[in-house]
Amino acid sequence: MQSGTFHTSYASDMAMRPFWIQRLRIALVLIALLAFPWFADRYWLNLANTIAIAAIGAIGLNILVGYTGQISIGHGGFLAVGAYTAGLMAVRLDMPMWITIPVASCFTALVGAFFGLPSVRLKGLYLAIATLAAQEIIIWLLTHGKLLGIGESLSLPRAANNLFGLPLSALGNNDFAFYWITVGFLILTVIFVSNLFRSRTGRAFVAIRDQDIAAQVIGVDLFRYKLLAFAASSFFAGLAGALTAHYRGIISWERFTIDTSILFLAMIIIGGLGSVSGSIYGAAFMTLLPALLSNLARAISGLVPDINTYLPYIQQGAFGLAIILFLIFEPEGIVKMWRNVKDYFRLWPFSY
Amino acid sequence: MRNERRRFTLLALTLALALLLAACGGQPQPPATGGGTGGGAPSGGPPIKIGAIFDLTGATADVGTPYSKGQIAFIDWKNANGGVAGRQLQLISQDYAYEVPRAEELYTQFVTQDGVVVFSGWGTGDTEALKGKISEDKIPFISASYSASLANPAETPYNFLVAPTYSDQMIIAMKWALDDWKAKGKSGLPKFAYLINDSPFGRSPLADGTAFAQANGIETPLEVPSPRGATDLTPQLTQIRDYGANYVFLQNVSSPAALAIKNAKSLRLDVQFVCMNWCANELLIKLAGADAEGVVGAVPFSPEGEGARVALNFAKEKGIDYGGADSTFVQGWTAMSILVAGIERTLKDGKELTGENIKNTLETMGPIDTGGVTPPVVFSTTDHAGAKALRMFRVENGKWVAITDFISAR
Repeated sequence: MQSGTFHTSYASDMAMRPFWIQRLRIALVLIALLAFPWFADRYWLNLANTIAIAAIGAIGLNILVGYTGQISIGHGGFLAVGAYTAGLMAVRLDMPMWITIPVASCFTALVGAFFGLPSVRLKGLYLAIATLAAQEIIIWLLTHGKLLGIGESLSLPRAANNLFGLPLSALGNNDFAFYWITVGFLILTVIFVSNLFRSRTGRAFVAIRDQDIAAQVIGVDLFRYKLLAFAASSFFAGLAGALTAHYRGIISWERFTIDTSILFLAMIIIGGLGSVSGSIYGAAFMTLLPALLSNLARAISGLVPDINTYLPYIQQGAFGLAIILFLIFEPEGIVKMWRNVKDYFRLWPFSY
Repeated sequence: MRNERRRFTLLALTLALALLLAACGGQPQPPATGGGTGGGAPSGGPPIKIGAIFDLTGATADVGTPYSKGQIAFIDWKNANGGVAGRQLQLISQDYAYEVPRAEELYTQFVTQDGVVVFSGWGTGDTEALKGKISEDKIPFISASYSASLANPAETPYNFLVAPTYSDQMIIAMKWALDDWKAKGKSGLPKFAYLINDSPFGRSPLADGTAFAQANGIETPLEVPSPRGATDLTPQLTQIRDYGANYVFLQNVSSPAALAIKNAKSLRLDVQFVCMNWCANELLIKLAGADAEGVVGAVPFSPEGEGARVALNFAKEKGIDYGGADSTFVQGWTAMSILVAGIERTLKDGKELTGENIKNTLETMGPIDTGGVTPPVVFSTTDHAGAKALRMFRVENGKWVAITDFISAR
């Protein structure tokens, strides 16, 4: 039996996934991701796309909340910035998605950094309220700002959905085609963010979270890195927003209210703060829970005839219950549960 | 430690089990009918599947609930009377809490997994969000949103509007207001204000309403959104008072509208409230009580026609509780009856029951009689706004009383 992990070369010490079993798992996940759309119908593809987009947004929020320790309840607003930037570019300037998505993400990063300015002076709950203001200001601009010339909703031309001239519809139906886009971006996001926390910048974020005064003493420029964290977080919010805009083909501000911000917070709390995979688990959980509950209710509605009457209330309760149960039994989220399961098998028959 | 670990494993197992169960639930299921299948009726084929989403818990649940009861009741009534061409109707429906993403998910599920042939939606935001998919899937779609942007078949070929568009409703209400102003012998022109739901639904008729007002020489109406979940609308009403409005048009659902009317009474605000479709119902009277007296409403689905009596009697007979909102219940019932009329005619013509055939039938079948609830509904290949006229009602002694005949916008 192995008594520990011993690296015998620098390369293996620096590797992100040094063990064959980890690589095998990645390979299996990739194969599953590649195979999934060929078997799934449009309902499941729609769910998968929703999860992938939510996961990108959740990873973004996790950079800020989980890794840097800056609470933000303005994430929905930043998603809106990304979605509307991409939308307006596609509608007014006839730009294709491969231009609008990167530009919208970068623009959202700028907006995020701007709204991150109060973080220099504010911490904790005070900062939370400042980001709440960001959320409300952005939504207010979208609903009442006739200056942007946006009506109630914005329809994107289908023609904008093309990659370097190749229309997406050539790939198949909208859900199938977008699966490759959303999952592709999710994979890129995962690779980027996992590596970010192996770099100087990422370490600085974590230092700020753990003890900001100590971080400052050892030479971390708080102002710079806090803004950088806001910018990085908003970049992915913008990416998620822009993907939503192109995938759904129509956006309205109703999709990006304070409820969305709170949903994203719930995702990373349930998934696991300060964890990339946790963000994905959280996004999947929060997206699938209502869908699974309603499917469950339909499955048993033959036995319990009136279940459909109570379902709405069960669904609302289930969200609250899920969060409370997680906070009681596993405050570190789904990612810790998964780790516990792995540890159990790894250490069996010993308990530790 | 040991104990704790066992608990985690247990939790993990429960979760896995739940996922598994639910995954099985994702497969096509035996019917989850909204309507009971009226026992032993002769069936001339498989049931006809109709999809629907309702708002039972969201921002518009106050009127969403009676509307949903009306739709379910119609399906039950139709099935109890032998269904359509010997086939039963099966309503596949769920609450979506007025949330656009949830609407998209349920729509996709009902269309791709259950294979519904027609769909009945609810809100403006979600109907607009779905319009692209609707055209792609070729699913004839009625909705409780009468946004004018959905009435043009060149853009949204599968959306059908069973009532005058919100824009038409607003123009009709303004026409009435102008007549009322003259009838009261007042000089000059009145001032208008909108007090609206802060959503695409609330803002839908404003541009057309304002254009009509301006064409009649009236100052641009003041637009005041009432925040969602507000418990006091005094600031909004003060704004309206300072503007000096004579007529306030409420494009909102019953609860916030009733709140505005009550607040206005305590402010001693002297304006004429005019409710659009979604607050002109019995719920408003119930909530605002005596303060609702004299409020005028644009009611596209009159609860007085012969068709309404059938619906209300059926509800009484079956003991359906729709919270006393007669007109909203009748609205849900009638909307569904129009959709089903299209299905019935398609089958009668001996055509296969596809979305495309139902759409063509609805466009060419001529007027659909709703038993006096609405003027006969006519769709055409160039216009999907089926009804053009409505009657104005006023609250007198705690009841909606018709004060005009059917008025049309143009």
